[in-house]
Amino acid sequence: MKTPQTLERSHGWRKWLLRHETLLLVVLVLEWSLFYYFGTSVNRRGMTVGFGTLDRQFDILRHSCEIGLLALALTPVILAGGIDLSVASLLGLCAVIFGQLTHDLGLSLSIAAGATVALGALAGGLNATLIAGLRLPPLIVTLGTYSLFRGLAEALTRGAVTYSDFAPRFLSLGQDRWLALPVQAWVFFAVAAGMWMLVHRTVAGRSFRVIGFSPEGARFAGLPVTRNLAGVYVLAGAIAAIAALIYTARLGQAKADAAIGYELFAIAAVVLGGTSIFGGRGSVTGTLLGVAVIAVLKNGLATLPVVIRLNAAEEISGMLTGFLLLAALAGSTIPKLVSARRNRS
Amino acid sequence: MSRYSRELSVLAVLAAMLLALGVWAPGFYRLQPLLSLATREAPVLVVACGMVLVVIARQIDISVGSQFSICSVAGGLLAAAGWPMVLVVPASVAIGAMLGMLNGALVAGLGLPSIVVTLAMLVTLRQGLNLFRQGEFVTLPDGVQWFGLSQSVGQALILAATGVLVIVLAAALRHVALGRQIYAVGSDAEASRLAGIRPRWVTFFAFAALGALTGLAAAMNVVQSPQVQPLSGNGMELKVIAAVVVGGVAISGGRGTLWGATAGLMVLACISPALVHLHIEAYWEKAIQGAVILLAAIAEGLRRRRSDA
Amino acid sequence: MPLLLAFHAIRKSFGAVRALRGVDFELRAGEVHALLGENGAGKSTLIKVATGAHAPDEGSIAIAGETLSALTPALARRLGIACIYQQPALFPDLTVAENLALRLEPVRPFRRVDWRQRTRTAEALLSRVGAAIAPETEVKRLSMPEQQLVEIAGAVGAGARIVIMDEPTASLTRREQERLFGIVRSLRKDGVGVIYISHRLEEIFALADRVTVLRDGASAGTFPVGEMDEPGLIRSMVGREVSHLYPPSHSTPGTVALKIEGVGCKAGGISEVSLTLRAGEVVGLAGLVGAGRTQLARILFGVTPADAGSIEVGGRAVTIRSPQEAMQLGIAYVPEDRRRHGVVLEMPVAQNITLAARRRLFPGGWLRFGRERREAGEFVRRLAIKTASVDAPVGSLSGGNQQKVALARWLATNPRILILDEPTQGVDVGAKSEIHALIRQFAASGQAVLLISSDLPEILGMSDRIAVMRGGRLVEILPGGSTAPQVMSAALGQTLAKGKDAE
Repeated sequence: MKTPQTLERSHGWRKWLLRHETLLLVVLVLEWSLFYYFGTSVNRRGMTVGFGTLDRQFDILRHSCEIGLLALALTPVILAGGIDLSVASLLGLCAVIFGQLTHDLGLSLSIAAGATVALGALAGGLNATLIAGLRLPPLIVTLGTYSLFRGLAEALTRGAVTYSDFAPRFLSLGQDRWLALPVQAWVFFAVAAGMWMLVHRTVAGRSFRVIGFSPEGARFAGLPVTRNLAGVYVLAGAIAAIAALIYTARLGQAKADAAIGYELFAIAAVVLGGTSIFGGRGSVTGTLLGVAVIAVLKNGLATLPVVIRLNAAEEISGMLTGFLLLAALAGSTIPKLVSARRNRS
Repeated sequence: MSRYSRELSVLAVLAAMLLALGVWAPGFYRLQPLLSLATREAPVLVVACGMVLVVIARQIDISVGSQFSICSVAGGLLAAAGWPMVLVVPASVAIGAMLGMLNGALVAGLGLPSIVVTLAMLVTLRQGLNLFRQGEFVTLPDGVQWFGLSQSVGQALILAATGVLVIVLAAALRHVALGRQIYAVGSDAEASRLAGIRPRWVTFFAFAALGALTGLAAAMNVVQSPQVQPLSGNGMELKVIAAVVVGGVAISGGRGTLWGATAGLMVLACISPALVHLHIEAYWEKAIQGAVILLAAIAEGLRRRRSDA
Repeated sequence: MPLLLAFHAIRKSFGAVRALRGVDFELRAGEVHALLGENGAGKSTLIKVATGAHAPDEGSIAIAGETLSALTPALARRLGIACIYQQPALFPDLTVAENLALRLEPVRPFRRVDWRQRTRTAEALLSRVGAAIAPETEVKRLSMPEQQLVEIAGAVGAGARIVIMDEPTASLTRREQERLFGIVRSLRKDGVGVIYISHRLEEIFALADRVTVLRDGASAGTFPVGEMDEPGLIRSMVGREVSHLYPPSHSTPGTVALKIEGVGCKAGGISEVSLTLRAGEVVGLAGLVGAGRTQLARILFGVTPADAGSIEVGGRAVTIRSPQEAMQLGIAYVPEDRRRHGVVLEMPVAQNITLAARRRLFPGGWLRFGRERREAGEFVRRLAIKTASVDAPVGSLSGGNQQKVALARWLATNPRILILDEPTQGVDVGAKSEIHALIRQFAASGQAVLLISSDLPEILGMSDRIAVMRGGRLVEILPGGSTAPQVMSAALGQTLAKGKDAE
């Protein structure tokens, strides 16, 4: 029988999660302030340059759209107790496919975009079939598709071809502004809003949590486990395709090595945001905050004079993200270990 | 014995591939290129042996590529600073072991899932190395390449050492209690604890061993060219994991053999030259590697289904 | 002869549930001492105390004459206590020889492993227990009885002086049973003490020297087997004062809600089950552990679909292939394993309660929190669920209240057929009465209830009719006024003259 002590601690769990997002917000504000202070300066012509400029902030927003979309795609997957290492590779594949559809096959932009998203969902369906259908471990399946998708992207471009010369109408998706914000930000907000509603306001979203906490329990509650689990992987594929379109529009190029290494940032954002890697616990707001923290980190580092001198923005941001991920993981597990030890004695 | 059905099927696939190559791409069977291929792949085999330990223990380590790069560069720098190879090799092994122990501490000590931990380590280690070296090669002094001996002797030495290592490791896995404990922990960690085994220490050891073997493989790699490339380890983890999974080592732990992984690696190693001889471009290699991993996972899943039913 | 094991006044409680209330038990060398009792009488708790898995709250344990202050699993193994459970605890991917070796060899990591010695040892032990198993077979390829033999071989090899066997013949053929008896007899000859738990009275008479009957956590007596007969044993098992009043049944059974004929499921070990449930009635499903009651429930709920026979719901022939289909037919199932299947411990009370009724409460798939809180609040009130709030995680509630949440979840679906699997297991007396009243209320409103319970008084007090299962079959349907011995005999497969008193 649970004692009142446990009651308190369980409530403490929820408070912790709420506090987690507040903590993240604090970290974000601190981080932002730090970069603002150290990364902004006035140049010889008297203009402000560096972190504190509006251009730079919009850059951060642009960059966070792609990582953010991948992190949003991963959130329901991880909530449901799974993992998908292949999202960034799928982004690369979709970018290449879009390039081929528009350049080699001459399809119109909208048809090509629609086809790309459909193909992204189909690729997600491969993960879904193997993981939800055949019940293979998500780890090895998505490790395989991580390699397969990137490999297909390289094969389709024969390792060398780059697609550029996109119509300005398309490039505006990644480079222009609409109503004062970068265009892709609106797409990102739309997807974020949709994901938030899916995870927090629908029965399906709740079912992801139940599956994450207890797949057997979900079955006994009559939840369509296989169907919903398949759904999160297909959805992840579709979102990766949308991210591919934005990435290509921003860079103006579609290459096979698009978004290489982004899976770490995406997973780090999700875990930092408070989603438990074991499933069940987590929130979309947390993921968004995690994305913000990482995007600010990535871009803010590039404005610090010392980093500019060393020309090591990518390296340092990669290392720090790795550390952050490990710290977030450790941070969520240590309280459990401590309480487990206390229970045993 | 049907116990080794997985390993036997890999051997059958290997035999079929070698046969097919003999028929359609006889150019494959020329001594010098084959020796070069074998010597190039020997370090990968050494790492794969370590990976087998970790996977049997029901974990995974996708940071081995970065560990390899770090140990290669470290070894190269030490050699360039004048250290004799006799000291460089153990140093490389030690560095690898420390990196492995770091992974082991996080996974076994804190109970964190190994996929995410080693993903973080992969990036952190690689970026750390990039920061340090900025992609710069390490030029090795004369006398390091092939241990200062001729290429053929150097190759023979490496191949012999690898062969001995695999045999010794396979024997240890079979005949030393710790090796059997790795199987037990991978099969059922709770039952192991009840049997008096300490699963956390066994897991920690597996990661440390993998790290040490990676360091050794890096040393073997350093002596093969006049320079050390910092990117030499990139992508190695996938090749190693593919070899291990194809070779019949189950991702769910508790079963698998070194010679199965060796056969698996040979199958994978044959793919690239096979592509060349079949006039398929090299840029298909990554996709084929991915497909191979998926097929091996499906085969394992179907086998498991059949034995459960 | 010296006493291998002596328990004195052992008490053990789990929260509000008193599993053992002052039990004395002793085991002599070279004796087979049977332990008999209905489900929940305290047998498994007593065994867990013997193997060191549970520490008793009070009482003393003496092994081989030495009183111990504390018994841990490791110490128990060292002292030569071995337990063979129904679910073997072997390493499935490893060979028989290796499993035995891991049991017997010291755990020094850098010791050399001698496979020839391992094989020899395994062969010797296996032949000693008469098992025709090759030592290099992987354990997962062995059948359950074969795995059992491997465990016994391990116990013998480890020099166990006290061997506990928990329902060892549950899944054995006649020939395998005979072989097992032979092993038990040879163990006895070697001076080993065997604690033998079984429901099969004929086995107890054939094999045991003494039998201890447990009833409601206390010993109802220890008897030499020669001085007892079956009716006497059954009386000891079930006789008790009637202290609990059950709500009376006022309903008259109406139309047939559920009719199953010849239903079977090979995977679940069920065959030829025919049963009718009428609206407004509570049918109790009695039987011993392993008789197939939960398997039948799973068939009806679509978890493991039937592969034989026919099912009719509300007069219409149906197939039930998944829980969703069952729910659509108005069937609800409150599972036996409350913590893993009945509720999601980490999620709040309100979310647990509304989980199954989502189609009704959240049409279109959109969550409505206001409605959810109202619905949950209703049920918390109606079922008197003690919780800090509807947002508290279910894991913070007591066992009885968790069970009420599980019940609320399924009541919220307004089912026509409610299947309850051990609804009051681990629930305190107060909550128990409340749950019983709720079940009666529910039936009275015109629905059908199938009540699976190992608590004989509960079955007797709640059921309008009692269906008894044994060995995967429905063997008897007894009327509501039946006595405990009648039900127990049917469950045990003994014939007992009707009309004999329980007291």
